[in-house]
Amino acid sequence: MAEYLSQLTSVSPCLHTSTPSDEEDYDKHIRDLITYLQQPNRPSELSSVSGYLLDNLDPYLHSLSYLSVLHFKIQSVQGDNKTRLSKQVCPGGELWIKAVRLLRGFDPFQIRYAGHEWRQLIELVIQAAQAVSKPLLAVSVVRDAMLRLDPSSEVLTSVHTAFMRLTLIARSYSLALPILERHICHFPTLTGQAYQKYHQPTLCGEHESSMTFLTDGSGFSKKLTYRDHLQFFLYGAMIYMALRKWDRALHYLSIVISCPVTNTVSKIMVEGYKKWVLVSLLGRGMLVSHPHLASSHVIRAYKALAKPYTLLADAFEKCDFQRIEVEVNAARSIWHADNNIGLVQQVMCAFSKRMTLRLGMTFSALTLADVAQQASHRPTSLNEVESLVASLVMSGALNAVMLHSHNDDDKTTMVRFCSTVELRCFQEHDTREQIVQDSQLLDVVGRSILYANRGLELSNENFLFLQKSMRWSDNPEKGSARALDELASGIDIEEDIMGDTH
Amino acid sequence: MDLPPLSKDQLSAVLTSSRSPTELFNTLVEYEYEACLKSTPNSNESELLSLFYSTFFFAHLLTDQIYEARAMTQRMPQDLAQTDPSLQNCLILLRAVWQRKYESVYKILRELPWPDRLRPAVESYETYFQEKTLREVSRAYEAIRPAAAANYLGLDTAAAEQGDPAIIQKFTAVGWTWDGNKKLLHPKPLPPALGKDVRLYDEVSEIMALVGKYGG
Repeated sequence: MAEYLSQLTSVSPCLHTSTPSDEEDYDKHIRDLITYLQQPNRPSELSSVSGYLLDNLDPYLHSLSYLSVLHFKIQSVQGDNKTRLSKQVCPGGELWIKAVRLLRGFDPFQIRYAGHEWRQLIELVIQAAQAVSKPLLAVSVVRDAMLRLDPSSEVLTSVHTAFMRLTLIARSYSLALPILERHICHFPTLTGQAYQKYHQPTLCGEHESSMTFLTDGSGFSKKLTYRDHLQFFLYGAMIYMALRKWDRALHYLSIVISCPVTNTVSKIMVEGYKKWVLVSLLGRGMLVSHPHLASSHVIRAYKALAKPYTLLADAFEKCDFQRIEVEVNAARSIWHADNNIGLVQQVMCAFSKRMTLRLGMTFSALTLADVAQQASHRPTSLNEVESLVASLVMSGALNAVMLHSHNDDDKTTMVRFCSTVELRCFQEHDTREQIVQDSQLLDVVGRSILYANRGLELSNENFLFLQKSMRWSDNPEKGSARALDELASGIDIEEDIMGDTH
Repeated sequence: MDLPPLSKDQLSAVLTSSRSPTELFNTLVEYEYEACLKSTPNSNESELLSLFYSTFFFAHLLTDQIYEARAMTQRMPQDLAQTDPSLQNCLILLRAVWQRKYESVYKILRELPWPDRLRPAVESYETYFQEKTLREVSRAYEAIRPAAAANYLGLDTAAAEQGDPAIIQKFTAVGWTWDGNKKLLHPKPLPPALGKDVRLYDEVSEIMALVGKYGG
């Protein structure tokens, strides 16, 4: 056992103040360890002494070994049975505790070499938590593991989609926000591209972007399909809906409904459109214009497939409450079948609110009695109306102020709708926060563009190099591929101008 | 960071030692995992779980996360939620806060029986709710009758209607003016709590540098 342990502890965390040659040495050590772990008889050998090994390995110092031994042990416990989980793997079980310990404290640099095993462990934790009807147990574990591996969370993986689904099932919506609030703008990098042969960074190095190690061959993600992509954004929108963050939900749904298609739309996109209609009524009080990226034939398909939704939106926009009631009752079975009954009920409840908000666009001041007459769709007491208007003003949804009269006999309340100028001091804070959010987004986009330019050889350095190459064009034998190789290997081109040609 | 095991004493310690509602909330988020592990149909830890979920519920309200508070009430063990008096009170309070029934909120906080260990959270929330409502009312009204203002803050409305100086003084102390002739209070808008202002200013000042960096 001690012999195994000495082999498994041969790799410790890399100190990331090292030089590229140290990184290469470290990379070689790790690959040697992987070769040792992949020997044919190793799983059975290590699995038989896994208890001793797991007790003596540190999940942070020897993450790769710990993960491999745990993986072998789980495989031996589970055998061929993929559906029925062993008690040891279920929450509270011995292997569950070890899995959680590893996922909460692994060394992200070592784990980059074991993407398949890491993902399988994540999937097992999710499955085990759901098997005992306690999905919450896996939520924070999986989220922290995802952020530990890739703090920027900029690359979409199959784990992202599984995690969003898990948070919805667990109803722990705010725990998903640290992932949702990061800007996902890449799919796992395709390996084998021509440009990659000039630059193959070591996995264990410090990289500007996680795209370096989250590739299609790394194992951190299953092969992604259009469905995974759509599901991630649909689930994200549903999480924002649960938190009543309508603008964010609308943004996520607009990504779903404007996904490029050739001739047909998918069922997920239609589901997204139905929710998009309801969310736009709830968030903006009207059907917002379709995303520019969605082509007209797609919009026509949506409208045909979601007729009850567009009819309801039309009635809402025309402020016809009776028609809203008719449309809601007529399509009740459809709302239930689509699991949208909750949103539809919220749309009905939002009608009075929306009518009150619209009054501010027409009038500068009204008494509460007038508000009741103009905005209420059923007889309502003045106290109820005051309560509604006060809640809208106090929550910041309505830009208005209320004035009680001083007459004891006539307790009139006046609502004075404000111009935006008067509320500027209160909007200032929100605006500043919006600017900061936008700046963070710009930062992500900027970094991604720089990274993509570098990968595609579109950066300023490459253009300068191309200019120089054109000057050398009188020497036809000096191929640009050779020169690119030199650039990638850091050789000074000016000094190499007299070098041998081949 | 490893937390001490979840217990009633530990919960009380967390409740009294947390320096801010956010800190309290963040600590309890970490404990929800352990609470979830302990919750089994025949669990003999129902008293601990009741205290945990009640405290966690108040931590949500103290950080103004009412939607997430509702989700939490759906996450907690439903058999416990249906039988435990403290959790039942939490659900009643949630409904009142959700519907902005100010009078009911104060009544629930003051009159319903809450466990002694939960008292600090209940009292903190009453103070928080009162301050938050005062800020909102000061922005929403230009003139308000004392009884209505008292109702928003859970004060004696009958005494306020009579112009009780002690109640009027509570409003004038925050900058409101009292018109004795018209018997109306004139609120002075109170600025929203801007805890993150310094960070925001710092970050906004970095934007131009960012634009310069990527603008070329």
